[in-house]
Amino acid sequence: MSQDGRGARYRLGVDVGGTHTDLVLLDPASGETQVEKVASTPANPSLGVLNGLRRFLDKGIAPADIAFFAHGTTITTNALLEMRGARVGLLITGGFNAVQETQNQARDGNPFDYFYDRPAAIAPQSRTFQIPERTDYLGNVLTPLDEGAVRDAARALEAAGVDAVAVAYLFSYMNPAHEIRTREIINEMAPRLHVSLSSDVLPRIREWPRLSTTLVNAYLAPVLTRYVGDLSRGLDALGVRTAQRFLMQSNGGVMPFAAAETGEKTVHTLLSGPAAGAQAAAWVARANARAGLVTLDMGGTSADIAFIEAGVPLEVTEGTVARRQVDVPALDMTTISAGGGSIARVAPGGFLTVGPESAGAVPGPACYGRSGDQPTVTDADIVCGFLNPDYFLGGSQRLDVAAAEAALNTHIAGPLGLSVREAATGIRRIVDERMADEVRVFAAKRGLEPRAFTLLPFGGAGAVHAAAVADELGIARILVPPRPGAFSALGLLCSDVVHDYIRSELTPLARLVPDHAEALFTELESRARAELAAEGLGDAEARLEREMDLRYAGQGYELRVSLDGIGRIDAAGLKAARERFDARHAQIHGHAAREKPVEVVSYRLRARVAVPKVQPRELPAPATGVDAAAVLKGRRTVWFDGREGIDVPVFERDGLTRGAHLAGPALVEQMDATTVIPAGWTAEVDAFGNLLLTRDEAKR
Amino acid sequence: MIDAVTIEVLRNKVAGLTDEMHYHFYRSGYSTIIRESRDFSCVILDRDGRLITAPPMFFHGTVYRHFCARVLELYGDTMRPGDVFVSNHPYEAGLPHVSDMGFVAPIFAGERLIGFSGSIAHKADIGGTMPGSTSATATEIFHEGLLLPPVRIRAGGAPCLDIDRLILANSRQPELVAGDIGAQVAATCMGVARMEQLAERFGADIVCEAFAAILTGATDELAAAIAALPEGAARAEGFMDSDGVEIDRMIRMAVNVTVKGGRVLFDFSDSDEQARGPINLRPSMVEACCFYSLIGCLGPDIHFNDGCRDVVDFRYAPGTITNATAPAPVSSYQMANLKLVDVILQALSHFRPERAVANAGSSGALGINWGKGARPGQSSLQYEILGSAYGGGHGHDGASCTATHLSNLHVTPIEILESEFPVRVSAFELIPDSGGAGEFRGGLSFRRAYEMLSDGMVIRRYDRAKCPPQGIKGGKPGRASRFVIKAGTVEERETPASGRFDLRAGDRFFLESAGGGGYGDPVGRDRKRVERDIAEGYVTPETAKRDYGAA
Repeated sequence: MSQDGRGARYRLGVDVGGTHTDLVLLDPASGETQVEKVASTPANPSLGVLNGLRRFLDKGIAPADIAFFAHGTTITTNALLEMRGARVGLLITGGFNAVQETQNQARDGNPFDYFYDRPAAIAPQSRTFQIPERTDYLGNVLTPLDEGAVRDAARALEAAGVDAVAVAYLFSYMNPAHEIRTREIINEMAPRLHVSLSSDVLPRIREWPRLSTTLVNAYLAPVLTRYVGDLSRGLDALGVRTAQRFLMQSNGGVMPFAAAETGEKTVHTLLSGPAAGAQAAAWVARANARAGLVTLDMGGTSADIAFIEAGVPLEVTEGTVARRQVDVPALDMTTISAGGGSIARVAPGGFLTVGPESAGAVPGPACYGRSGDQPTVTDADIVCGFLNPDYFLGGSQRLDVAAAEAALNTHIAGPLGLSVREAATGIRRIVDERMADEVRVFAAKRGLEPRAFTLLPFGGAGAVHAAAVADELGIARILVPPRPGAFSALGLLCSDVVHDYIRSELTPLARLVPDHAEALFTELESRARAELAAEGLGDAEARLEREMDLRYAGQGYELRVSLDGIGRIDAAGLKAARERFDARHAQIHGHAAREKPVEVVSYRLRARVAVPKVQPRELPAPATGVDAAAVLKGRRTVWFDGREGIDVPVFERDGLTRGAHLAGPALVEQMDATTVIPAGWTAEVDAFGNLLLTRDEAKR
Repeated sequence: MIDAVTIEVLRNKVAGLTDEMHYHFYRSGYSTIIRESRDFSCVILDRDGRLITAPPMFFHGTVYRHFCARVLELYGDTMRPGDVFVSNHPYEAGLPHVSDMGFVAPIFAGERLIGFSGSIAHKADIGGTMPGSTSATATEIFHEGLLLPPVRIRAGGAPCLDIDRLILANSRQPELVAGDIGAQVAATCMGVARMEQLAERFGADIVCEAFAAILTGATDELAAAIAALPEGAARAEGFMDSDGVEIDRMIRMAVNVTVKGGRVLFDFSDSDEQARGPINLRPSMVEACCFYSLIGCLGPDIHFNDGCRDVVDFRYAPGTITNATAPAPVSSYQMANLKLVDVILQALSHFRPERAVANAGSSGALGINWGKGARPGQSSLQYEILGSAYGGGHGHDGASCTATHLSNLHVTPIEILESEFPVRVSAFELIPDSGGAGEFRGGLSFRRAYEMLSDGMVIRRYDRAKCPPQGIKGGKPGRASRFVIKAGTVEERETPASGRFDLRAGDRFFLESAGGGGYGDPVGRDRKRVERDIAEGYVTPETAKRDYGAA
C-alpha cells in the first residue's frame, strides 16, 4: 500500500470534534507522534483540518512526505441533526405510501406526551411518487415496472428542484431489477440527480428500516460528496500528494475517499465520531483489550461508553441517529448526558439532578467566564480542586474558580442548605455513579461482567472521573493513554478499510440448500472485489469474512453469527452455524432453544483490507532509578469528600518516565487532561507510556 | 437525616436496577414470542407496597399497590426472607386480566421488612374457554382461565411445587408457562438481592428514607402542577361500539373531574353498569388511565410513583364498567383503557386548555390462524397490532399512523409477513381526509389490504366503527374504522369492529383504522396548513372546500 511517494513516510489522523480539531502525525520509522489541537470551524470543517495541517507544515514537515491521511468527521451527523441535507424525492411501490408515515408505528420520546410528532419527513408525500410495480417475497415479479410512471416522476422531481432521489421498492433485496432499471431511467433523464437505491444501501428485509436508511443516505450523499471534494482539493493545494485518503466509518473501519465520493456508503459515516476512540482502544491497548476493556470518553456534553471484548469492539446492526433509523453496522456504544458541561440543578420534587442539559462549549461552564452562570460538572471539578485553573488546555484558557463557586452557591448549595464543596462533591458523586450504573446495565444486557475489565478513560474529563467510576464498579485497573485528548485522532491510524455487505432472504435453516447459500455469498464477494477495485484497492489483499443473521422462527430480531473457518457452505457448515447461533443466543440472552427451528434472515460479508497502523512505541528504560519526586510540579488542596481538604502532590505527565510509580492521593496534569489518583490507588507508567492505575485490593 | 445527593444516587440506582431486572427477565428463558410484545414489568416497592419508579409498561404501575396490600393483609404476620407470592386475580389483587401473572417478594434487612420486588408478565395460556385465555366473547371471568388469589409460591427460598403443579395443570402450554414462571421468579428475586446489597451498603434506614423522599418528591411535583390549575369541575363521556357480546349496545364511560383544595377527584359513578363482554375494568386500570392522562395533561416530564396517589382521589359506583364486580369478564381491558383515556383527557382539557386534545383512534389486533395452510416449517399463527392516529390538540395537529396513548407496539413489516405466512399485503396506504377536520387536524389513519393465499380464520378485535373518535372545540370527528371482508366481490361486506371470519384462498379483505378527532373550528385553520395538507394529499381539495372553506 505504499505505491505512491517513495520517500513519503508520515501518517496523519485528523478528528474533528464540536470544539476542537485534533491531529496526530505519526512517523512510523521512529514510532514518534506529534499532536496538534486547533479550533474547529463548524461552518466548513475542512478549514479547521487544513489549519491544523498547516501547523505541521510550518514546523517543517514537507507535505509530500505525508503518505497517508485518515479523517474522522461528524459532517453527516451534524447535517442530519440540523436538517441541512439535500432536497430529496422518493419513489416507492404504488399503494404503499403509509410505510413512511407509520415508520415502526411505536413512538419514540416521552410516552406521556400525546402532542407527539414524528421527525420532519426527508421526502414528504408531495415529493413521493408511487410507481406501479411489485415483486413477491421470492423475488418473482408480480407487476412489471411501469417505466412511463418512472419517467413522469423523474420529470416532476427535476421540476421540483430535488438534488437526490431515494428508490425503495418492496422486496427489492430479493430482486433489485426494478430499482436498477429505475436508476437507469433517472440517470438518462436527469443525470444531475444523485440516486440511492435501497437494494444498494441496505438490501435487508423489513421495508421501513430499509426505506429510512436509504432516505438518510440520499439526504446526506450530496453533503458528503461535496465535503470530501472540498477537502481533497484543499489537501492538493497544500501540496499533499498521497492518494491514500480515508474516511472513518461507524463500523470502526475506514473507507477510501473514492468510496465516499460515490455517495453509496454515506450512511456508514453517521456514527463514526465515537467509533475512532473505541478502535484506538482495541488496537493500542490490545494486550489489555484481550481481557476486556470499557472505554469512557467523557467530553463536554456527554460520556460515550463502549466495550471491547476479546480484543474486538462490540457491534450493533441497528441504530438511530437524530431519531432516524439507520440500520448499518456500528460499534455498540451508549451515550449518557454526563459531560463536563452537564448542568446541575434542583429539579421539581427537590431532586438534585445533573444533565441532560449541557452548557456545551458556548457559553460553557460558569468557570469559563463566558456568561454561563449555570453550575456544571467542570465547575464541581474545579471547586473540589481536581482541575488546575491556570493549566486548562495547557494554560491556554484560564478558569474562574470564583464564578464556579458563585454558580454552585446560587443554584445548588443555597437551595439545599449545603456548603459549596458539599454541593460540588454531590454533583460529582451523582455523575460518577450514573456513569457506573450505565456501564453496569449496558454490560448486563450483553452478558458481560465488567469487574474483570480494564477501564480506559479518554476525552478531556475521562481521567478526572475514572477512578470513582471504577471504584463503584469494582474495576481494579485503569489505563490512561499518553494523550487522552487526542485519542480519537489516534484511532484513525488504527483502522483497516472495512466494507460491509448484506443481502436478506428469509428461509428456514432446515430447508436451506447449501449451494444456494454459497451462491449468495459468492455474489456478495464479487461485489466487494469490484468495489475495492474501483477504489484502487484491487491489488490489495482483502480478507472476506462471512456471517449469517439467524433467529429462532418467529423472533423479531436476529443475531450475527460468524462463519469463520467454515469455508464452502455445506450441510455440516450449516449445522455448525446453527450451533454457533445457539451458543451466541445463550451468551446474550441467557438461554438457547436448541429444539426450536432456526431461520436464516440475512447473509453478511465484511471485506477487510489491512492498513498499516500505529505501533505502540516502547519507551527506553531510564538509565538510572526512576524518581517521581523529580517531576513534582507542586501541591494542591483537593476535596474528595466535600468536607476535609487534603494536600496532594501534582505531577506533570510529560515528565514521568517509564516505570515511574505514584501512590494516591495524587494528581497528574498534562496539556489535554488531568488524571485523578485517589487514596487506595497506585499508578505506574508502563513500557508504552500509558499510566496504569491499580487499586490496592488490601485496602478494600 | 438523608441528603439530596444520596436520594438522587439511590433514585438512579433503583431505576437502573429495574432496567436490569427487565433484561434479566429476558435472559432467563421467557418465551421468545411473547416477550417481543414486552408485555411485562419489573418494579421496586417500599414496605407498604408503594411503587418507587414507574415501569416502561406504565399501566402495570398502578397494579402493584393493590396486589401488595392484599399480600400484606393475608401474609403480613408470617412473611419471611425468601418468600415469593403470586397472583393473577383481577378482583382480589388488581391484575389487568388473568393472563397477566404478578409476583412480589419481600425485601428484608435483617428482621426488618424494607420493601418489595415485583414483576407482572403475560402468560401464553392459563386455561379458560379459548386457547391463549383471552376470549373476546367471555361473559364470566371463569371463562378466562384459572384464578390465583395471592398465594405463596416460594417459601423461605424453597419452591412450593404444589402451586406450580396446580398452575401448570391448568395451562394448554405448560412448558412455556413453567419457563416463564421460573424466569419471573428469578428476576423478582434478583431485585430482592440487589436491594439487600444496597441496604447493606447505604444502611436500611437510609434506603427507607430515600424511598420516602422519592415518594414525597413525586407528591410535591404533582401537587405543584395541580396547584396551578383553576378549581372547578368538568365532566365528559364517550362510547365504545359494544362489549363484543351484545353487539347492538354501545358502552358509555363517563367521568366527573373536580379540582379543589390542591387535589383532583376522578368520579366515575355515572359510567354504564358493567358489561356482559370482557371490556370491564378494575380500579387498578382506571387509576392507570387517570395518572397517564393527568401527567400527559399537566406535564409529560412529571415522575410517576405511588407518591402521586396522595393528591388524587377516585370514586366509583359498584358494578359499573369502571369498577366491575366479580365475576364480570375483563380480558379486553386495553380497548376499554384506550377509550377511557380519551374521556378523561376531554374532561381535563377544561382545566388546562393548552393541553386539550381530541379523541385518538385506539389500537386494534388482527390475527390469522392458517391451520394446515401454513408454510412448511413456519408458524401458523399470524398476529399484528395495528395503531391509528392521535387527535388534534391546542396548537398541534394529531400524529398520523401511530400507536396511541397507553399502547406503543411496533407494526409487523410487510416483508416479514409475506415471507412467513401465505398472505399478500396488497396495499398499505394513507386514507386522505381520515383526520378529523379542525383548526388543528386529527392525524390520518391507514388502510391495510390483504389477500389470502390459503384458507384461514381471521380474527379482528377493534373499536371505533360505530363511535368514531370525537373532535373537540368545534373540531370534527375522525374517520370511523372499517373492516371489510370478501372485498371486490358480490359478497363484500362491512363487519362490526370485532369478529371472526372463515376466509378462503383468494379472498381479499381490508381494514381501516380510525382517524384522530379534530380540534377547533376548521374554518379557522391557518391557510398555509390547509394548502400544505392538500399538497401532501392529507386532505382532498373537495374536503378542503367543504370543511375548511378553502377557495
